[in-house]
Amino acid sequence: MSGYHLGLLVLLSFNVIAAYAVYLPLAAGQLNLGIAGFMVVGAYAASYLNNEMGWPVAGAIACGGALAAAVALLVAIPILRTHGIYLALATFALGQVIAAIFLNLEVVGGASGYPVTAHIGAVAVVGTAVGVIAFMALLSTTRFALYLTAVKSDPLVSDLMGINIRFIKVAAFTLGAAVAGVGGGLYAHYFNYIEAQYFSVMLSVYTVLYVLLGGTQTVWGPLVGAVIFTLMPELLRASAQWRYALFAIFIILFMAARPQGLITAGVGGYLRKRFSREAV
Amino acid sequence: MGAPFLSVKGLSKSFGGLSVIRDLSFDVMKGTSTALIGPNGAGKTTVFNLVSGVYDVSAGSIALDGTDVTAMPSRKRIQAGIARSFQNIRLMQHLTVLDNLLVGQHVSASGLVDLLQPFRLIPNHRWIRDAMQELEECGLQKYAHERISSLPYGIRKRIDLVRATLAQSSLLMLDEPAAGLNATETEELKLHLDLLKSRGVTLLVIEHDMHFVSAICGHVVVLNFGEKIAEGSFAEVQTDAKVREAYLGTEDAA
Amino acid sequence: MIAQQVINGLMLGGIYVLIAVAFTLAIGVLNFLNFSIPGTFMIGGMLSWAMLKVGWHWTFAFSAALLCAAFVGLLVYWLTYRPAKNSDPEVPLVSSLGFLVLVENIAIIYLGSDQQSFPQVLADFNMRIGPVVIGGAQLISLVVSLGVVFGLSIFLKKSNAGRRIRAIAENRDTAALLGVNVGRLVPQLFVFNALFTALGGILFAISYLQVSPFMGENLGFKGVSAMIIGGMGSIWGAIIGGLLIGLVEVLSIQSLGSDFVNICVYGLLLVLLIVRPEGLLGKPAARDKL
Repeated sequence: MSGYHLGLLVLLSFNVIAAYAVYLPLAAGQLNLGIAGFMVVGAYAASYLNNEMGWPVAGAIACGGALAAAVALLVAIPILRTHGIYLALATFALGQVIAAIFLNLEVVGGASGYPVTAHIGAVAVVGTAVGVIAFMALLSTTRFALYLTAVKSDPLVSDLMGINIRFIKVAAFTLGAAVAGVGGGLYAHYFNYIEAQYFSVMLSVYTVLYVLLGGTQTVWGPLVGAVIFTLMPELLRASAQWRYALFAIFIILFMAARPQGLITAGVGGYLRKRFSREAV
Repeated sequence: MGAPFLSVKGLSKSFGGLSVIRDLSFDVMKGTSTALIGPNGAGKTTVFNLVSGVYDVSAGSIALDGTDVTAMPSRKRIQAGIARSFQNIRLMQHLTVLDNLLVGQHVSASGLVDLLQPFRLIPNHRWIRDAMQELEECGLQKYAHERISSLPYGIRKRIDLVRATLAQSSLLMLDEPAAGLNATETEELKLHLDLLKSRGVTLLVIEHDMHFVSAICGHVVVLNFGEKIAEGSFAEVQTDAKVREAYLGTEDAA
Repeated sequence: MIAQQVINGLMLGGIYVLIAVAFTLAIGVLNFLNFSIPGTFMIGGMLSWAMLKVGWHWTFAFSAALLCAAFVGLLVYWLTYRPAKNSDPEVPLVSSLGFLVLVENIAIIYLGSDQQSFPQVLADFNMRIGPVVIGGAQLISLVVSLGVVFGLSIFLKKSNAGRRIRAIAENRDTAALLGVNVGRLVPQLFVFNALFTALGGILFAISYLQVSPFMGENLGFKGVSAMIIGGMGSIWGAIIGGLLIGLVEVLSIQSLGSDFVNICVYGLLLVLLIVRPEGLLGKPAARDKL
């Protein structure tokens, strides 16, 4: 595989991981505009553990994910008392605060960035992405996944059916943050350098946009969204700015005409029947 | 006679300054079917919302089988045995019939292992079998994989009922189960309710169709402007002066 | 030199007020968190700069910017708000974010991504009041923005159109039933909002003499914070919120260094959203049981 194609695959892998990090809370109706903040936590935590404390890379990245999850859990309980746009704004503010904190943390380089010693190859990145997809696909066959959709569709009825809405939302939010943290840790060790400025709110915004483009009704939507977002500039041979501009136009038109995204439950139902078995 | 299964005492509810339910008391005996009737706006659905926990009570108490559930969070009430259907159906539009029923099963599958089992990968899983069985008993199994949004009103109404029964709860509250159904569908509904009664389920039904009420329910509570104005058998209530006045011009008594 | 910093904070706050008011109008009347507002703000600044660079007189340059912003505002109405009437509230929010991304990148493509210095349009003069120096342009900016906002507030309270707008805010369907021409009034609101924010961009440009394609992003998000702190849907709240954010920003730069600005501003926002989401003057948000 050529270097160019490999690079593209790696980029796709990062976008896929980010997509699923956003997808979990979004499936439960929570717009997380601060996902970049959790990536930052994972990135810096993993790098620090590896650089300064000599942890093996895999362990450091896993721990980065766990730490991101811990932060999420800590803020989830107060934040998830809000909902709708308040929640979106709270996550946005959280992302900004986290990024700003790391930007000022001199122990990890502050604004000048943080070099990371250990390197992981493309195989590890792509492999993790595949693992995330498999994990999400498995998760989609559980009651947990069903309840995410239920909580989004009709929280009143879900509550009356006995579902613990708070638990589902916190779990989705935390798990999403863990995935984001792992993605951040991978990023740090692949590029061997982190700068907090990269993990800006616009990164969260772009991720949310392509997940919504793919569709959140099924587990394949985020994958499709990530693929489109990653491959579109390559297919159009356009500059980075044009890619974002065209992507934005795409999103606007989609939200107007087909807000449920590309892959809806109807389309996904066919895929699901191939993938699982139901009693006749 | 025995202790009442559902006991509502001095129930009151106000929204801001607006008093919607005033000092309401009635009992429902175990295994019986009671109808809650009254003109539109009498507060019947509000009573359901109070008993199921959607609203907090402003005053009064609600007891189920001797246990006081007044302060119990809504989420726990289905576990305590209170299930309900909805006046406007409230099935999840984008999900299939089967998925809606699976959600309705939650109370009997609420552990952590239940939550995380990849049950859709397991052929002929118990949950799916149970849901399909309920559908078969009503002759609705062919709709199992249809999305709710694609189904006609009558079918959706019955699926809402099936969902409510999946919890196998002891008290089933039905909000206008016959509304909008044609004659055949209403007969099928009556059969379904007879089946439930034979299983020992206690029914509390809001209805406007008096033929239906007299066929299904042995006991009737009449509400008007948030207060109980009469209670008794259908025949007793039918001839009550206050009830006739409340309904004057809006209903013919059966 | 606290007094000077306070004044500087208020000056900056004046700009935030305009953005916060635009957001609060959109939320209050249309229940729509319009993230294209930072975009039209940027258009005000950047397009003015571009036209001035080409040699236009400032009246034409500013008009061009305002016109362009109005056009974008209409586009947002047609493509974001109108189709989304029956969708989740996140859909128009996301679509408006799309508009922000779009205008920002178009600006980068055609005008470059660098920060640009804005030519001196107003005569350079300062006022001294005691120990405090007030930049002329900034003062005009503050006066204009507060003036426009007060005017808006009076307009909404006293005029017929204002009453109709408030009716829409109460309940759009009822307003339509009562004869309010919602189909005409709402696009006018969008255009007005866009003009309003573009004006903010212009005022910022003449006060601080710099513009960049990212100015919308930078200031817009703080403007949203100002709106929330003041209380969604409340114009007075937006005024207080805007001035407060301006003060917090300037004072935290002074005492903690510019690095901590974001932490302070967004930290305040986060705490407020959790503890008192209705902000200082907003109505308490209907808290579901769930």
